[in-house]
Amino acid sequence: MRKGKVAISLVAAAAILTSTLLSGCSADSSQQGVTTVTMLQYKPEAVKAFEKIEKLFNDTHDDIQLKIESPNEAMTVLKTRLIREDYPDIVGIGGDMNYSNFLDADLFEDISDIEIIDTINPAYSKMEKELELIPKEGVYALPYAANAAGILYNKDMFESNGWEIPESWSEFISLCDKIKASGTNPLYLGYKDTWTCLAPWNALAVGLAPSDVCSNVNAGKTTFAAEYPEVAEKIKVLLDYAEPNPYAYSYNDACTAFARGQSAMYPIGSYAVPQILSVNPDMNIDSFTFPANENEEDNVLNSGIDLHFSVMKNTKNKEAVYEVLRFLFKDETVQIYLDDQGGIPCKQGDFELSKFLNGMEKYIREGRMSDYQDHHYPSEMSVDAMIQTYLMDKSDNAAELFLERFDKEWVRYNRDLIARVQKYEEEHK
Amino acid sequence: MKSKKVLSRRMTFILMLAPALILFIVFNTIPLITGTMYSFTNYKGYGSFEFVGLRNYIDLFSDTRVWNSYLFTFKYAIVGTLLVNVISLVLAMGLNSKIKMKNTLRGVYFLPNVLGGLVVGYIFSFIFTYIIPAVGSALNIGFLENSILASEEYAWIGVLVVGVWQSVAMNTIIYISGLQTIPGDIYEAGMIDGVTPWQKFRRLTLPMLMPFVTTNLVLSTKNMLMVFDQIMALTKGGPAQSTESISYLIYKNGMDGGQFGFQSANAVMFFVVIVAISIFQMVITNKKEEQL
Repeated sequence: MRKGKVAISLVAAAAILTSTLLSGCSADSSQQGVTTVTMLQYKPEAVKAFEKIEKLFNDTHDDIQLKIESPNEAMTVLKTRLIREDYPDIVGIGGDMNYSNFLDADLFEDISDIEIIDTINPAYSKMEKELELIPKEGVYALPYAANAAGILYNKDMFESNGWEIPESWSEFISLCDKIKASGTNPLYLGYKDTWTCLAPWNALAVGLAPSDVCSNVNAGKTTFAAEYPEVAEKIKVLLDYAEPNPYAYSYNDACTAFARGQSAMYPIGSYAVPQILSVNPDMNIDSFTFPANENEEDNVLNSGIDLHFSVMKNTKNKEAVYEVLRFLFKDETVQIYLDDQGGIPCKQGDFELSKFLNGMEKYIREGRMSDYQDHHYPSEMSVDAMIQTYLMDKSDNAAELFLERFDKEWVRYNRDLIARVQKYEEEHK
Repeated sequence: MKSKKVLSRRMTFILMLAPALILFIVFNTIPLITGTMYSFTNYKGYGSFEFVGLRNYIDLFSDTRVWNSYLFTFKYAIVGTLLVNVISLVLAMGLNSKIKMKNTLRGVYFLPNVLGGLVVGYIFSFIFTYIIPAVGSALNIGFLENSILASEEYAWIGVLVVGVWQSVAMNTIIYISGLQTIPGDIYEAGMIDGVTPWQKFRRLTLPMLMPFVTTNLVLSTKNMLMVFDQIMALTKGGPAQSTESISYLIYKNGMDGGQFGFQSANAVMFFVVIVAISIFQMVITNKKEEQL
């Protein structure tokens, strides 16, 4: 009994001691003219790479101390910190609707005077521009890494059967027929998790619809019923080549089935590779761009910004922040990140790409890429569930109904935005 | 002297009440009021917002997704409440009779209530997706071969099975305690009058049990209307949005999507509906209660 008490008081004493020591430490460093730059990045799976980068930076810089935070559920953490007005200096988030909304709420600093901009792959700079809900002057984010979606395939299975990588829609369909005839599932779909419906949807849409379709709809120049019929038609064809009743299986189920060789291909993004390898570490996976068109030249790779850096508006030490950004975009630093995370670099240069992206490399080098269209869909509209509903609808006019609903709901969920966009268009005629 | 004593007595009661009252106000009343406030705005959950008057409430009535979620929730709650109460009453009568291992059995039947909703959901999800279809195809039973959770028409039954399985436990316990309050001499008197088993249940047990039926009906209706965990674990509102309950929709679009304001309006509406239903149930069932 007494022993326990002694132990507790010892622990308490130690805790108090270390906390005072630690606080003393940080007070010291700020007195010596060291600027602290805090960065919050939203990919907890990349924490190892960022710890390495943080250490390298701090070892080479005496006057700046970099602190990188990689919390789980970073978006929630970030949003709560925004409410408390406790801003980090740099945020590393994805190029999706959240970013668009933050940018729209005027949270980020214009960083068009940093020279790194010239080294960025123009395809990604264009994507950044398209993420602005209302067109803005200046540059607000530096794209760092991207992922790509298309078709992942089982390389060993393709080689032993002599199957060729398809380059057009009809080649793709005849390949699927051939695989089906051999007794294997051509595709495996995990449509129980509705978001996975968006993977083939996006991959088809980038090839079949213009990349700025959403902002054009907002501006009243077109409708989804006019832009999406072919996407809707082709995504339904995929069902003929998948396992029966794909709505019963989740993303995890589909990854596992593909890893175990239950299908030859899997229409999903490169982000699924780690999950598949965790089931079957020896699997030989490669990828190719979704051949949505009849002409190979019309095909576009579906690639989106997975991580980009923005500077918060009220940062006090812009110079130090720029120094951090310059360091992050050094070739060696980018390679550290790529080696760990295996994405696509947004910086131009000779980087070693992950072997799972071999089949997409040509498109990446040529910059024939376009962003995920769902990065422009409001999440509360649940387009993924609408696609699932459409796929399950067996009636003859299903596509018409679906596109009609798409247009109708789009107006309802984007009402405030559309009003502002059209006002902007009026003013900038 | 005397008034001082009364005063201190009153103080004691106030002090006893205060902590609960403060907690209730801080975590219930204040959020309710702020939520109501947000229901008149276009707030996204962060950033700036504007007051939009009654627009959110008007939208509620024209939004098919909200209507569908209400339809699903009520269908689920009505069938669920009936099933839960019938099953748990039968179980309670069984567990209250003179059988072997009564206490062990009571423990076993209470187990589903101890397990978390998500855990149970994931286990059932596995059963529905893999085990039942495997059994179905082995025995060539057509309708079992496909997972029920993947069917737009029947997925709600899958959710219902899990929901009922879990909430039967608590209601059974309440019914058992109710059955134990019925004095034995009533049954003795009945026996002398020569009642049949059905008459015994209908004329003696049920009227005496009525207060507990009231409690159970209100409790399980409320639980069933708030269905959330099971949906999260089993269907995530799918397939084709056929199992989106009101709570799920509020959470999904209010927190995840940027509809904080609109879904606050939905929540206020839902709150009013639940209060109305609870009052209605109490009034109806209270009339049927027998007092000794």
